[in-house]
Amino acid sequence: MTPETLGALAGLLVIETAERVSGEYTGKLLADLGAQVIKVERPGGAPTRRMAPLQGGESALFAYLNTNKQSVVLDLDLPAERAMLDRLMTRAHALIDDHQVDWTERRNLTPTQVAKTHPRIVHTLVTPFGQSAPASLQQCRSINVINAGGWAYHSPSETPQGKPPLKGAGRFLSDYEAGIDAALCTMASLLRLRRTGQGQSIDISEVEVQLNRIDCVLDRMLAGDADPSDTRTAYDMGGPGTSFACADGHVFLIMTTQAHWQALCILMGNPAWASAFRNDWLEFDCTAANVAAFRAEFSAWVAEQSKLPITEAAQKAGVAMVPVHTAVDLPRHEQFSHRGFFQNAEHPAFGAVAYPGACYRMSATPVRVRTPAPSLGADQREAGV
Amino acid sequence: MRDRGGPLKGIRVVELTKVWAGPYAGKLLAHLGAEVIKIESMSNLDEMRAYGGVDINSAPYFVSINQEILSVQVNMKTPEGLDLVKRMIASADILIDNIRPGAMERSGLDYESLKAIKPDLIQCAIKMWGSDGPLGYQTGYAPCFAALSGLTAMVGHEGETPKGMNIRYGDSTAGACAALACVAALHHRESSGEGQFIDLSAVETMTSLVGDSLFAWSVTGKVPEADGNYHPEMCPHGAYPCAGDAWTSIAVANEAEWQDLCAVLEAPALAADPRFADLSGRLANRLALDAELGAFTQRHDAAVLAEKLRNSGVPAFKSMSSLDLCTDAFLWEREAYRMVTDHRNGTRPIIGPSWRISPDPPLVERGAPLLGEHNAYVYAELLGLQEDEINDLIARKVID
Repeated sequence: MTPETLGALAGLLVIETAERVSGEYTGKLLADLGAQVIKVERPGGAPTRRMAPLQGGESALFAYLNTNKQSVVLDLDLPAERAMLDRLMTRAHALIDDHQVDWTERRNLTPTQVAKTHPRIVHTLVTPFGQSAPASLQQCRSINVINAGGWAYHSPSETPQGKPPLKGAGRFLSDYEAGIDAALCTMASLLRLRRTGQGQSIDISEVEVQLNRIDCVLDRMLAGDADPSDTRTAYDMGGPGTSFACADGHVFLIMTTQAHWQALCILMGNPAWASAFRNDWLEFDCTAANVAAFRAEFSAWVAEQSKLPITEAAQKAGVAMVPVHTAVDLPRHEQFSHRGFFQNAEHPAFGAVAYPGACYRMSATPVRVRTPAPSLGADQREAGV
Repeated sequence: MRDRGGPLKGIRVVELTKVWAGPYAGKLLAHLGAEVIKIESMSNLDEMRAYGGVDINSAPYFVSINQEILSVQVNMKTPEGLDLVKRMIASADILIDNIRPGAMERSGLDYESLKAIKPDLIQCAIKMWGSDGPLGYQTGYAPCFAALSGLTAMVGHEGETPKGMNIRYGDSTAGACAALACVAALHHRESSGEGQFIDLSAVETMTSLVGDSLFAWSVTGKVPEADGNYHPEMCPHGAYPCAGDAWTSIAVANEAEWQDLCAVLEAPALAADPRFADLSGRLANRLALDAELGAFTQRHDAAVLAEKLRNSGVPAFKSMSSLDLCTDAFLWEREAYRMVTDHRNGTRPIIGPSWRISPDPPLVERGAPLLGEHNAYVYAELLGLQEDEINDLIARKVID
């Protein structure tokens, strides 16, 4: 690609008043796709500017969430500066927010007010439980959302009753999931705006994103095809698939068929213990006792193996066993390199960094980090405020 | 077809999708108002129609995903069938597939070939590793791509083998990202008239969900690991045991919240304990803190405690089981679950979209289609075939 390649959303102006990760990630997805995203920050800067990890006083989280955005500072409690936001919104195509109702009411930025004053804007509001939820629910944080949506209770698979449900990977998994739906809806509505000239209000519930992602498991329970329960394993699939420790890390194995089992036996050199299992045990004799017996033997074998060579041999043998990659493995991984997922760049404060990119390679409009996250108020003049 | 409104009204999607990730992408677009046509055949069914060996027209897995999808039958193993598929694609804005790597190319449905019949087509391929590259040929299940992505390594109880998210995690998110990229491409087409090929990697979908941690690693050199419920800026932060094997999640971000938590738990000794006097002390002693807190939370009903805490300004929510979710009055009232038509039972509850859009909301009213339910619409209305031509195609099992 050439540096002049425009993003898919070139020509669209988005104002971001969001100050939580869900809303800021929504803005990042749009900015990385080429929209002009002006981040409106309170005096002193968005709260994410101070969130861990800090390096040399700057937040790596903020630097990640705000690539390709511009920054203006407005004190929305002051009428004159609130009026400047209105001026920006008059030019803008979308407004991304993620505040609670008391915040939006105080600043005349409720969906009703925005629809009235700016009928030609797409107004997306991402909140933990969606509009109309009681205010006490909307204070919930990421870990509360992932627990409210059921994924925490059921993660990891096979967690015994006595161990706590988990928050997921990192601190913000539910925020990223919500950001995907929010950006999707915003873009869909922007398409309608381009065709009809009319804006819309979009209300995203972070908890409902969590529910939607488990549709074909939870809906069967809702509809009575399967029994809902209080068991921690209600979402599980059974079978021996799980992570195992190996000599230099971890591997993940999943097996469901006789062919998988036979291939694994060959990979292991047909150990004597394997003959205790029926050839078709995965399909017809996959009891808890057999799974436990298998895991005990397999764990001992795989503990001696090295992560990359054994998983490469497994792939060739038709065994679905893969390395559990860590952060260190990814940038040097041949497939990630081939696809250019990580973009090496120079960050003004951090020096050489690698930006994780988008999971979609778009042939005409590649996603790129064109500019690092802005310094506070960097675009005040250009934005005309 | 009836007018369902919504922001993607007028957009037509053709999908060659199976199982979960691909159909989920189609579902999201349909739930935004797009007309989504799923190409199926008796000889090449979506496995979800067969799961459990039940009636292919009411298979629970299938009907729980494919609402507001149109179904057309085509036997793609015949040249005529393939030609009909190409005519459908020529009438569409977007083509999505998640079939095996190389299968589209073998059928002549690669992007370059399709561009010749539909120059501004948006084509999105969902594969485990993307469409090309050294590992592009590999296929895998969702927990495999979560493991490969770097996400699994970051999920687990501290000090244990990282077990990752629940084994079901991954497919639906990959589908959501595919839908997102397709709508972005519609904008580029709107601006420039140009279509494009979207090459989506399910592995990278999962990687993008830990993007901040990977970026932070490139800045700080600290490798992210499975860290239980640890949070560097909140403590207590986790799920705490309650009565009856239930759990409540609590996130405390400042001293006022900490004092309020202790007050609700009637734990003045905790509030005054010098080990827990500030965030750094609580983080340094968090295992002791979690154990002591657990002794208090254990006496409470999880939902009742969470509500008390929220009312005192402490963010908390019960860790919801599948039974809790299915019976939650708030979710039913907000239409997080809603009813659609169902061929077997008349109506069926579904997990509704995460969005409410107004005005002009997209209608989501019809359940998953019967196999070939929309043959007449596609062949007669879209492709303009006559009734006798259609009957002939059926007789010769081209429509099958």
